Amino acid sequence: MSHPTTTDDSREIVRVDAIVKDFRPGLGLRAKRVLHGVSFAVREGEIYGFVGPNGAGKTTTLKVLMGLIRPTSGNATILDCDVTETGFREHIGFLPENPYFYPFLTAEEILRFYARLSGVGGRDRDRRVHALIELVGLGHARRERLSTYSKGMLQRVGIAQALIHDPKVVFLDEPMSGLDPIGRKDIRDIILRLKSEGKTVFMNTHILNDVEMICDRVAIIVKGRIRHEGPIREFLNEEAMRSDIVLAHLAPEVAEQLGAKFSARVQTVGEQVEVQVMDGQVRDLLESALAAGAEVLSLSPNRISLEKIFLEAVEQGEQADGSSAAERGAPAC
Amino acid sequence: MLNSGSRIWPIATNTVREAIRHRLLYTLLFFAVTMIGFSVLIASLSYVEGERIIQDVGLASIRLFSVGIAIFVGIGLIHGEVERRTIYTILAKPVTRSEFLLGKFLGLLLTVWLQLCLMAIAFVAVSMLVGAGLDLGYAAAMLLVGVELMVIVAVATLFSSFTTPMLAAFFTLGIYALGHLSRDLYSLGQASDAPAVKQVATLLYRVLPDLESFNLSIQAVHGVAISGAEVGWAALYGFAYSIALLILASFIFHRRDLE
Repeated sequence: MSHPTTTDDSREIVRVDAIVKDFRPGLGLRAKRVLHGVSFAVREGEIYGFVGPNGAGKTTTLKVLMGLIRPTSGNATILDCDVTETGFREHIGFLPENPYFYPFLTAEEILRFYARLSGVGGRDRDRRVHALIELVGLGHARRERLSTYSKGMLQRVGIAQALIHDPKVVFLDEPMSGLDPIGRKDIRDIILRLKSEGKTVFMNTHILNDVEMICDRVAIIVKGRIRHEGPIREFLNEEAMRSDIVLAHLAPEVAEQLGAKFSARVQTVGEQVEVQVMDGQVRDLLESALAAGAEVLSLSPNRISLEKIFLEAVEQGEQADGSSAAERGAPAC
Repeated sequence: MLNSGSRIWPIATNTVREAIRHRLLYTLLFFAVTMIGFSVLIASLSYVEGERIIQDVGLASIRLFSVGIAIFVGIGLIHGEVERRTIYTILAKPVTRSEFLLGKFLGLLLTVWLQLCLMAIAFVAVSMLVGAGLDLGYAAAMLLVGVELMVIVAVATLFSSFTTPMLAAFFTLGIYALGHLSRDLYSLGQASDAPAVKQVATLLYRVLPDLESFNLSIQAVHGVAISGAEVGWAALYGFAYSIALLILASFIFHRRDLE
């Protein structure tokens, strides 16, 4: 499957500028700020991962984008339209977190309902409903009431309704939530398929594995503030783009030569040689090692850094929160 | 570009479908039809005007149970959608909040009108069974019950758009009770010597719905002539009042954060 690539000058499909959101828990109670000037942009044709721990403000940001809540200040646009408008919504799809649908309807009925709301009519409606039920793997349960569906099946219905009108931009809030490993792979494949069709995907998640596998760019949000934003490869930094190779039947002096030639870290452990090399040189190093009679025991990309960056961002967020709380607690005089 | 109707209608029909799959509605409908039938037993205890008692009790049962159904379903109409988060996926489509609100209102209105028709059929059947006379007065009375239901559904929709079902029930029942007393309140206020009391009574009469204007039961049962103008003006008033309530509900709902 070929994936169209995005470039820095690709059109900005989603633009969020300094969004602040305060929630007032009740009358007379002090407002709580959950978004502190969130800004980012999503470019055409990319899969954008919006990552953060629980309670970081991911869903609140998505609700602002969907026009479900109004920002206290700042503004957001999708396809150059203000998010409070409705006209552009025929071009967007949305899967909320833990979606819930009318339990008295079947999968076919609910998809027809959403198709009508989106202006998909006649034969096109039947065709889309049928195709999407098959795409999300619910063909066997298409005429069963949603009240009998499992969480994973409802998630699949949620994906189908988000795509019913063939939108240009798709917003997914925790799309892998409640799914087993096969279900997660299915959804990942659907997201990659959307990208290959030129669609833009915005994905809220806290599952870093998914982000590494499919996202082009990532933003990390912690306690309502964006801590990092950028392309995934840049994001993962040098360490994250290294691969670990374990070789056997390789003479130590040859291993040393390979290490020097490819700027790789080499360590001999008993009969095995462990090599850590930059992703771009994996192929050449392997070819040289195989030519020298080595046997490849394992090859694994080193993807530890995203998690490291994520944890550091959370820690920084907590420290910043702690220091600002201490400042607030200081006497005014 | 889609027109509003093609978005409002699916929401309305879906609301009807949801309501008619609600078991409690059938229970209420069963009680209403039983009460209409029970009126025959009540009438048999009286030596005079048994047919009038049957029709009086029958019409009162229809009014009571119809309003009960309207309030029961109406109070959770919008709140339930927000609470279950079904509204999120609907508003992510090209549907405005006003269209959603109107779709839900229309759906509930169609449901209560459908129930009213069923009760009216039971009423006509019982009346024919006991040989009680039926004329256009009954049709007019039934029509205005339908208009009163429209106002009650609009009141319930308004409160459901910003508050919990419990509070919405409290407010809607309050408006229903005051709506039937608004004429009396106005008369009492006018009889007062204090200008402030007069003004407050007048204001309340203007703001609260005059639900007694939809009550033609006594005229129908006693065979008092009902003019077309009387029915027409009452229907127009109910229609206009409902639109005003829906505009207010839409205004409030548009500004609400759907958390």
